Amino acid sequence: MSKRGEVPSKFIEKVKGAVGEENISQSECALISYSLDYWLYGVFLSQYGKLPSLPSVVISPKNSQEIQSILKYANEYKVHITPFGAGSGVLGGAIPIEGDAVLNLQRMNKFISLDETSLVAEFEGGIIGANLERELNHRGYSMGSIPQSFHCSTLGGWISTRAVGQFSTKYGKIEDMVLGMEVVLPDGNLLNIKPVPRRSTGPSLKELFLGGEGTLGIVTKAVVSVHPLPERTIKQSFAFPSIEVALDVVRKILRGDAKPAVVRIFDEPETARYFGQIKNKVTIIFISEGETDFVELEGRLIKRIAEENGGETTGEKLVDIWLEKRFDIGLGPIIMQQGGIVDTIEVVSLFKDAANLYNDMASAMRAVEGAISVSGHYSHFYREGACLYITFAGFPKDTSRYYKDTWTAAMEATLKNNGSISHHHGIGFWRKDFMQQELGSHGVELLQKIKFALDPNGILNKGKLIDGK
Amino acid sequence: MENKKQLEQITNCALCGNMCKDSCPVYLATGNETVTPQKKARLILYEEKTFLKDEKGFFDVMFQCAMCGACKLNCLYDNFDLRDFIQEGRNKAFKNGMLPEETRKRVETFVNFGNPNGERELIQKGKGEIGYFVSCSTYNDKPLLKSVEKILTKSKEQVQEFGGADICCAAPLYYAGDMDGFKKAAEKMKREIEQRKLQKVITNCPACIKMMTEIYDEVGIHLDVEFIHTVGFLDALLKEGKIKVNKANATATFHDPCILAKDIGITTTPRDIIKMLGFDIKEPVYSGKDTHCCGGVPGGKIGDSKLVASVNAMRTSELKETVADVYIAACPTCKVALSNIDIKDVAEVVAEQIING
Repeated sequence: MSKRGEVPSKFIEKVKGAVGEENISQSECALISYSLDYWLYGVFLSQYGKLPSLPSVVISPKNSQEIQSILKYANEYKVHITPFGAGSGVLGGAIPIEGDAVLNLQRMNKFISLDETSLVAEFEGGIIGANLERELNHRGYSMGSIPQSFHCSTLGGWISTRAVGQFSTKYGKIEDMVLGMEVVLPDGNLLNIKPVPRRSTGPSLKELFLGGEGTLGIVTKAVVSVHPLPERTIKQSFAFPSIEVALDVVRKILRGDAKPAVVRIFDEPETARYFGQIKNKVTIIFISEGETDFVELEGRLIKRIAEENGGETTGEKLVDIWLEKRFDIGLGPIIMQQGGIVDTIEVVSLFKDAANLYNDMASAMRAVEGAISVSGHYSHFYREGACLYITFAGFPKDTSRYYKDTWTAAMEATLKNNGSISHHHGIGFWRKDFMQQELGSHGVELLQKIKFALDPNGILNKGKLIDGK
Repeated sequence: MENKKQLEQITNCALCGNMCKDSCPVYLATGNETVTPQKKARLILYEEKTFLKDEKGFFDVMFQCAMCGACKLNCLYDNFDLRDFIQEGRNKAFKNGMLPEETRKRVETFVNFGNPNGERELIQKGKGEIGYFVSCSTYNDKPLLKSVEKILTKSKEQVQEFGGADICCAAPLYYAGDMDGFKKAAEKMKREIEQRKLQKVITNCPACIKMMTEIYDEVGIHLDVEFIHTVGFLDALLKEGKIKVNKANATATFHDPCILAKDIGITTTPRDIIKMLGFDIKEPVYSGKDTHCCGGVPGGKIGDSKLVASVNAMRTSELKETVADVYIAACPTCKVALSNIDIKDVAEVVAEQIING
């Protein structure tokens, strides 16, 4: 087991005073449990007992006030704090890489209120997505944020990584959903960004924390937009001869002002994996939902444009198959037990580059020695472009080398095709090396200055996203 | 671990993304990552591979589980039940003398008195091939016992009531990991039922039914008897017109006991009864198969009394949120655990509204 770091005993004593002795742990079982998120190379190694880094202590506050005290003590004793939402991040953002103190935010998991007039609801940041959605569904509403990590990720985590759910084309991405939030700043002060639909009060402060990855503050509460549960749902799917044609069809549908909740283009390998009966085709699935009149109109528009462009109707069943399988990550652990490695990479580009990006990225990743499978889908569409999501698996001789080379191939293909290196998983520590190429030196420097201004002691989530200067 | 398949199964769970954690009541009540199913699996794997140094810490985590099976119902993998592995951990803890204090005390009481309550009188009333087994929690709950007896009298069913003394299904020993003690006590329970020549046994306690069916079978003890939960018996009496009831004009919230809903699969029958009693049902956010454990008794399914209190506080709060006129359970242990919301067993509500036979 990796060696753990040390934190001053005086810090621990003071934190015990703030949160209570029972909410601070240095037991072996606790340190092992908070040592890793869902960064898949780390998960691969974990089966052999090789955890990237054990934290020195786990602190579980119950409210913002306790976090304020903890961060003040962390500044006083120069202790690095790694926030831990629910540990579903796939870029190592919650790994205490220097044996830091872990700040477990999962006790703060409550539904607070629903305002049916304004269509907003408030939750604590540590609530798991599925529990949040259940609270809303019970009252007749939905937030519409259903990522693959729905059952194991938190609202605070979604905000901190700029996450996106599968129904994003209608309901928006997390930045479209969050109206206000409460944040504990690195110096322990509390910032309240009140919930309003929009404001013109200088640069939007909430943007600092949407994607802040716990480096600029701890999101403790958020007010989000909600929708009445849909009264009508239409599921459609179509098969096409190529990615290029499929992308063009979705582009035309969105240009026609349609807003289907789910739009996904599956390449040939993913079409075969999901829908075995369809060979050598690319498929698109659509889910339209909401008020009956709108949904039926949208359904007709999708059908017309898809068929006018050579789409072969493949029915509702494909959508049901996807709905059934969409959270199933069960194959990954099986492959990893056999010595293989799997992971996913999500990037984004404009429509003009989208097909080339897919072709270049997939072929570069397939060319890495040890690759056995590279497949992809487009999801999370905009009028201007889309997210490309690639899944890869390999059985290499040197797992570490293969994993790094595959990521490098993917990132380089993305940058070559004018894409952005991450659409919604974030940077963590694993993708950090590509930030210079993504943002340019001035962009990185700007982020570093912001980090330093907010967190001069570098207390929060050291080694992730960006380090202060 | 006994075989390669088990090692593969626990490793799958240990390498999963914790896709069931949102269903785990112990996690939801505490926000503690260590007690989530996937982290428990990682610790079980590490214990198996001798990576762990803190054996007592590991055993304590094995007792920080409600054993409710929520993770099984929400698992990506077929035929996997993390509880089997947690149970193995508990068995080892027992063998190594490393039980949590509350659990140890409960076992000690059982060893001395043959039940978890202590000194008890034998209950033996009535005759017939249908038995009504007074479970340990029911033995201590005189209003509930009286209600059942009232219903039996009104229904004119021939039922042999038995329990008390050292007649117990042995669930406390099972959950404590004392498998040798459990098997002996289970054999004794089998004799108690067989000597009464029963064809059917009715009981209020879902845990008794789970033990005497699924778990007895697992340890090679088979009882050729049909077990019926009280709700099944009451439902039949009402539907067959053997008892008649007044109609309430009120709202009711039903708390699904975790074993009854998740393991035995009974969720609609108690609701049918409550509707027949004239209540309008107000569901909590978590109900049916998605119910949350009440916490149980300290040293029972959960070994840690602080954790019992946390799980109990969460479930109490979830139920109170419905603001119903009446709260109803179908498990005597749940009734004890949730007593601060004045919850009644479904049999008590039937008895209160019964008109005649």
